Amino acid sequence: MWKLTCWFALLAATPLLAQNSSQSAAEEARILNLENAWNQAQGQKDGSALRMLLGPELVYVDYDGKLMDKAEYLAKVQAPSLQPAKLVNESMHVQLYGAVAIVSGVCHETGVKNGKAYSVRMRFTDTWIRHSESWMCVASHSTLIDQ
Amino acid sequence: MLHHRAKSIGIGIVLGCVSLLAAQADGDQSARSNILALEHAWDQAQQRGDFKAIAAILDNSLIYVDYDGALLTKTQYLTRVKENSTHMEQIVPEQMTLQRFGNTAIVVGTYRVKGMENGKPYLRRGRFTDTWVRTGDLWICVAAEATPILH
Repeated sequence: MWKLTCWFALLAATPLLAQNSSQSAAEEARILNLENAWNQAQGQKDGSALRMLLGPELVYVDYDGKLMDKAEYLAKVQAPSLQPAKLVNESMHVQLYGAVAIVSGVCHETGVKNGKAYSVRMRFTDTWIRHSESWMCVASHSTLIDQ
Repeated sequence: MLHHRAKSIGIGIVLGCVSLLAAQADGDQSARSNILALEHAWDQAQQRGDFKAIAAILDNSLIYVDYDGALLTKTQYLTRVKENSTHMEQIVPEQMTLQRFGNTAIVVGTYRVKGMENGKPYLRRGRFTDTWVRTGDLWICVAAEATPILH
């Protein structure tokens, strides 16, 4: 009898597990879209889109080790001396912990800075937190890797 | 009399709110102290080469990005710590700030590492970001990244 009960319990749990896993997959896809939207907004120097993606308490560590808050990061992105041409994310991975998501990936950025062409590849880790229905990035850290 | 009772109820509510806020502040303070203590314990364990102690504070799905941009799993990170312990002499945390978002905390700080590699002494300064998540009563590190300070 207990075997039958276990079997039913397993059957009952299967759709629940499937639902949870599809919910996680949907959340992961959503966060990856936000990462790509971030690149697009940064490339277009779209301050209002960036403000929506980033939490007010954002801590941002750039690839040279410089620590910035949200206002400093926005000022850096919108500086006329920085003209990004391409921002592409590669091999992104999302790890979910309930209302927290960790994204790791590689970003390849090219452009012109202070009149000079640049090309950098950096590994980043972003921490996203869900506030009711929306996700916001609260921490971002990048480290240079070999080209 | 009614006025007095209303006043007493009002004072009671205010006192209740104050103790609730104080309890929350205490809880927040204790979480902060707890996480910062774990950060120090991590540094000390790294210096001692105590891999068991390090393993205990890291999530099994840890995402670790080292100062050279290498992406490491928990096992790979522990192996690297073991390799580094042969030439690393001192790790000095310089400053740390913590931001808490409920069951998540972000610690950003700087550190100095002194050591000897291929017969040559080195001194590195870096900035790190660690992400901690509370699971039950425990805080566990789920992601960490370090970057050399070049600016």
